[in-house]
Amino acid sequence: MIASVESLSIPISMRDVTKCYRAGRGIEHVDLEVGDGEVFAFLGPNGAGKTTTIRVLLDLIRPDSGSVRLFGRDLRRHSVELRRRIGYLPGELSLYEQLTARELLTHFAHLRSGPAWPAIQTLTETFELEVDRPIKNLSKGNRQKVGLVQAMMGDPALLILDEPTAGLDPLVQIQVHSLIRAAVGEGRTVFLSSHVLSEVGQVADRVGIIRDGVIVAVKRVADLRKEAVHYIDVRFTGNVTPPELALLAEATQLPSVNDTVRLAIRGTLDPLLAVLAAHPVEDLTIREPDLEDIFYSFLSGQEQHPAEAVQSVGA
Amino acid sequence: MSVRRRPASLHSVFERTFHEHRRSILAWSAGLFGLAVIMAALYPTIRSNPQLATLHETYPKALRSLFGITDLTTGIGFMRAEVFSLVAPLLLIVLAVLWGGDLIAGEEDRGTIDILLANPISRGRVLLEKWAALAAGVTLTGAALAAGLAVAIPLVDLHIGVAGVAAAVVSVVLLALLFGTIALAVGAATGRRGLARGSAVVLAVAAYLVSSLADLVGWMKVVRPASPWYHALGVDPLANGFSPTHLLVPFGLTVIVMAVAVHTFNRRDLAV
Repeated sequence: MIASVESLSIPISMRDVTKCYRAGRGIEHVDLEVGDGEVFAFLGPNGAGKTTTIRVLLDLIRPDSGSVRLFGRDLRRHSVELRRRIGYLPGELSLYEQLTARELLTHFAHLRSGPAWPAIQTLTETFELEVDRPIKNLSKGNRQKVGLVQAMMGDPALLILDEPTAGLDPLVQIQVHSLIRAAVGEGRTVFLSSHVLSEVGQVADRVGIIRDGVIVAVKRVADLRKEAVHYIDVRFTGNVTPPELALLAEATQLPSVNDTVRLAIRGTLDPLLAVLAAHPVEDLTIREPDLEDIFYSFLSGQEQHPAEAVQSVGA
Repeated sequence: MSVRRRPASLHSVFERTFHEHRRSILAWSAGLFGLAVIMAALYPTIRSNPQLATLHETYPKALRSLFGITDLTTGIGFMRAEVFSLVAPLLLIVLAVLWGGDLIAGEEDRGTIDILLANPISRGRVLLEKWAALAAGVTLTGAALAAGLAVAIPLVDLHIGVAGVAAAVVSVVLLALLFGTIALAVGAATGRRGLARGSAVVLAVAAYLVSSLADLVGWMKVVRPASPWYHALGVDPLANGFSPTHLLVPFGLTVIVMAVAVHTFNRRDLAV
């Protein structure tokens, strides 16, 4: 076993991990690596294996085969020490109902020999969390805040967040995103699962897409954007459609509506802009690439033709 | 609306487990204290009734064996029959089994085990701390029973020595702790609360029957040495005082069951 200095510091490294359940669900041959200071988002529909993967990473369930190393160390053998460096938010959050948020948070802080109350309080105040009411009296959103605070307190080197913004209102979601970015700014690593694509677009560096327990794609968010389809509406003065448009390799011309030419272009817009520059343009709309289309094209097993994507959007 | 109270400072799994059950422990302790006092209060009526001294001889043997009835007019005979042969051990075992079965399997059932074990604490440690809370709770409840007896015995002249009371209470506590530990272990091994409690109760009933009826049923006499109930209460600690070798049986079994529990809990997948 030769491990380079780099591989020792890799927060998450899963090799050929398989976990089967009698019921059928599980994960198969999962290979995954999340680097230092990275935000990795795990995307997939419910039941695809996101939570199974995450519970493997916390040593709550044990894989049938494959190896899991966190920070370069074997998870089973160094389970307790490794968990000291992880902050975890479960997807199905269950808390000790009788305790107040303050009691639960200080309890967990003690179990981690972790932060003192003032440090925790900074987080609870960020979330405007009422800490002295029994958890059983809290709303779903407030419970989620308790879960987030206990995951983030003590500044763990690795944050594993299963659906972190579920049940939160949009303003709080934005707060969570900025806390995640702040954590990464301090050199920490975040592994989160989500089925909210806008969230992934805002916080993640890389995305893994999982379907039926198999990782079907791992991409950089920036690359996904590059591959993404742009939708363009353009109206030319005098309603003349330049013939060069039809020659653009990456463009698909869609049926025109009210003298507006509609195009779908994969990749860079430069060739199109060259054409447009040579003609009098009255109005131009470029819609942002839609991660959702890319996501669903992976889920359906093949990338959709841009025109089909447009039809499904228009429907 | 919200009830303000002083926030509890829960440093460990032991403290939280105990904290969550503090009201229940208090209630059971009050109950067992009351049981000791009320039973003792009945004693003067029984003692002053000379017919009762020989009445028990007319009972069927099986009944006498099951309820430990000998001479109800002596303090020891009375308390053995009314408190220590069945009622007190039964109550403490019920408390210990209900609680023990919930300690791990209940956390799994309610889904809190994930967030607990994401903390840097080993499963064995969680199990031991929870067991310690169970032991502390059962011991406190046993102490309440002892306190009730300590108050009542001199008041009604039961003439039971301190050693006898202490030995009987310790025996009851160790016996209850054993069955509570069995419930904890089955819950930790399977995650199933009902199964955990059920199997512990079945074993407790079997141990009781074997210990109580061994003098009447031949094969039971053969298996009696295997019954922890026999070693705890069948040897009549109230009259005979402490017998360390006998007490070693329920205690030793508890240790063995815990070792098995740690081993199995460490190896298995936790339910979502």
